[in-house]
Amino acid sequence: MSQIRFEGLSKSYRGAFALNGIDLDVEPASLTVFSGPPGSGKSVLMRILIGLEAPSAGRILFDGQDITLLAAAERSIGYVPQSFALFPHMSVFDNIAYPMALQGVPRPEIAARVDQAAGMLRIRPLLSKRPSQLSGGEKQRAAIARGILKNADIFILDDPLVGLDFKLRESLMEDLKDMRAEIGATFLYVTADPLEALTMAEHLVVMDRGRVVEAGPVDAVYYDPTRLRTAELVGFPRCNILPGHLDPTSVVCITAVGALRVALEDGAVPSEAVVAIRPEDIAPAASGTAPLGVGEVTLVENLGSESVVYVRFGETTLVTTIPGRATVHIDLGDPFPFTIRPGGPILFDRASGRRIGRTTGVPAEMQDG
Amino acid sequence: MADVRVEGLRRQFGSLLAVKDISFVFPQEAVTCLLGPSGCGKTTLLRMIAGLERPSGGTIRFGDRDVTALPARRRDVAMVFQYPVMYRTLSVIENIDLPLANDRTLTPADRRRRVEEVIEILELGDARRLHIDRLDLGSRQKVAVGRAIARRAAVTLFDEPTTNVEVHAKLALIRAFKELRRHVRQTIVYVTHDQTEAMTLADQIALMRDGEIAQCAPPRELYDEPNSEFGGWFLGNPGMNFLSSRPAQGGGFVVDGVPFPLIVPPAGLEDVRFGIRPEYVRIASAPLPDGVSARVLRRAVAIGGQHLVTLAVGGSRIKAKVAPAVGPSRGAPEIGAEVFVVCPIEHAMLFHRGERLADPPRRLASSPGGAG
Repeated sequence: MSQIRFEGLSKSYRGAFALNGIDLDVEPASLTVFSGPPGSGKSVLMRILIGLEAPSAGRILFDGQDITLLAAAERSIGYVPQSFALFPHMSVFDNIAYPMALQGVPRPEIAARVDQAAGMLRIRPLLSKRPSQLSGGEKQRAAIARGILKNADIFILDDPLVGLDFKLRESLMEDLKDMRAEIGATFLYVTADPLEALTMAEHLVVMDRGRVVEAGPVDAVYYDPTRLRTAELVGFPRCNILPGHLDPTSVVCITAVGALRVALEDGAVPSEAVVAIRPEDIAPAASGTAPLGVGEVTLVENLGSESVVYVRFGETTLVTTIPGRATVHIDLGDPFPFTIRPGGPILFDRASGRRIGRTTGVPAEMQDG
Repeated sequence: MADVRVEGLRRQFGSLLAVKDISFVFPQEAVTCLLGPSGCGKTTLLRMIAGLERPSGGTIRFGDRDVTALPARRRDVAMVFQYPVMYRTLSVIENIDLPLANDRTLTPADRRRRVEEVIEILELGDARRLHIDRLDLGSRQKVAVGRAIARRAAVTLFDEPTTNVEVHAKLALIRAFKELRRHVRQTIVYVTHDQTEAMTLADQIALMRDGEIAQCAPPRELYDEPNSEFGGWFLGNPGMNFLSSRPAQGGGFVVDGVPFPLIVPPAGLEDVRFGIRPEYVRIASAPLPDGVSARVLRRAVAIGGQHLVTLAVGGSRIKAKVAPAVGPSRGAPEIGAEVFVVCPIEHAMLFHRGERLADPPRRLASSPGGAG
C-alpha cells in the first residue's frame, strides 16, 4: 500500500498561489476527504497528484520515493473526474472497461468486474448504450465505475456525487465506502458539501485558500478543532461563531448570548476571543430552569429525525439542532428560551484563530440573575 | 382562490406513462408539496395544472371550473420556475406590479397595496427601485415568489424554485415563503425533490413514485407513519432500516437486532420486513435488556454532530443515529468493537411486499424475556 506524502507543495498561476506549501501525509488504506470552499485548492492538489499538472515547488512521495516528475500513466491512480470525460464513440461498457483494457486485464475478468460495478451502481441496463443516450446522473455513475475499476491502490474521486438526487447520493455513498473497504485501497475524496464530507470521511483534510487548515481523523477534526477556520468550515448545519471578550480574570467570556465560563488551555490570555458553538450545543432550556436567553424562532427546518431551528437573539441569529419530535409545536415567531451545553463550545484567539480553551458552563450568579 | 381537483389525469410520452391516472384534490388555501425522486412525474403533473402540458386523459378543475381545455393564460394561475423569469429592464416594484396591471378589477390603489405588502414581507424595501439585473439570483427568485403571491391567482404553482440558488439564498427564500404564508393564504402546489424543503414548507406532502401519488399526509405524519417501504426510505437522512424476517422455531418470526420472536400479524404471512428509523436504535457498550450483540462496521459524523453508526447484526446491517456524549471524546464507539443494540419494537413497523401492515410488531406472548 502506497503511503502518499506531500512536501512543501505549491502551485501558482501567474503569481497567484492556488496551493501554498502543502505538507501532508495521507492515511493509507483509508478514505480521506478533502473539503473546503470553492477555490480552496482541493481539485488542483488532486490534479497534481494524478500528474495532470506539475507543481511550482515541492515534491510528492509514494513510500518515500519521489514521483513528482513521473508521468501520469506511470502513477497508477484510479480517477473519477469532476467532468465525466466519457468517450462518446464507445459504449458504456467499453468506457468502463477502457482503463483495465489498457492495463492488459484479461477479457473475462474485465467483463466480470464491469458487471459487478454496474450492478452496484445500478447501470447494468445501460452498458450497451452510448454516453449521449444517458442522463447526467447515469453518465456520472458510468464515470465512477470506470474510475474505480482500474487496478490501482490509490483512487481519486473529485466531487463524484455533485448534482445527483439526494437519495441516490445516500446509497452511492454507502456503496463507495463498501467498495473501498473491499479493495482496501486509499481513497482521496473531494467535496465542497459539508454533510457529504462528514458522512464519507474516515480522515478529513480541511483546505482553505491553498493551504491545509487542519487534518486528522474526522471525529477529532469535528469535535476538537484546533483552528477557528475548521469550526467555520466543518459541520452541518454550520457552527455559530460569536465574538467574545475575555474578562480580566479569564474565567468568563462575554458574548452576545451572555457570559460563558471558560477553561483556558495554556498561559496565553488574549482579551479578544471567538466562541464557536455547534448547533447541537444550544438546547431549549428545560421548563423551570433559568434560560441563558430567550430568542425568537425565525425558521424551523424539518429534517425528520431532527430539526434545525433558527433563533434570532438580539443582533445574532443562532442555529440550533434539536430532535424532530421536540419541534412539532414550534412555530415562527415563538419565543425560544435556550441554554448552552457546558463543555461544548470552543474558544479561539481572535487574532491567530488558534484554539485557546473550552467553555465549561454558565456562571451561576449570571444564571440566577 | 379555489381547490384543484384532478380526475383520472394521465400523461403519456411515447411508451412512457409519466402520470398514471391520478385523482387527487389539492385543498384550497393549503400548500401541497409534490415530492419524489427524479422521473416520478411530479413536474409533469404540475405543468398539466399550469396548462403548459396537455393531458393524455382526465380532467382538471379549479373549484367548479373545468380548465382542462383552457390555455395557461386563461386559467388564472401564477407560477414560479427554477430560474426567475423577469423583465430585466424593469425595477423590482415594476416587475411585481406588471401582472396586476392586466387585472381590470384592480384599482391603482389596490395594486399599490398588494405590491407594498409583499415588498414589506420579503424585506425588499431597499431594493424596490433597483433594476432586476442588479440583484443576485437568489434575490431575483425572491421577487419572483413575491410577484406570484401578489397575483392572488386561483392557484399558485412552484416548480423547484430553490434548485439553482446557493445555500444561504435558499434558506432566505424558504424563510420568505414561510413569512408570506403567514400573511397570505393561497392554494399552492409546490414541486421539489428536496425532502427537507417539503417537510419545512408543506401543509401536506404528496409523495410521488412512478407516476402515482404513493401517499399524502402532513409532513410529520408522512415521516412517522409511512404507508410503504418507499416512504420510510425516501424520507429521512439516512432512511429507515429494513430487516428481513425468518420463521422462529417455536412460532412467530425473528429479525436481527431483536432477541425474541415476534407475532406474524395476519397469520401465515411470509417475507415480512421489519422497519425502524436510525434515531430509535440504541447502542450501549454493556449488555442491556432486549439488547443483541453487534459489531461496529463504521461510523460517521451526522447532522448536528450525532454519531451515525453502521452495525453488523447477524447477517444484517443496522444504522443507528446516537447523540454524542459531552466531552472531547464524545463517546464514539470504536470500529470493530462489540456493542449491544436495541431496536425498540414500539418504534418499529412491519411491511409486506413493500406495503405497510396495519399491525405493529408484537412480542410473541410465550417467548422468554430479553436476552440481556
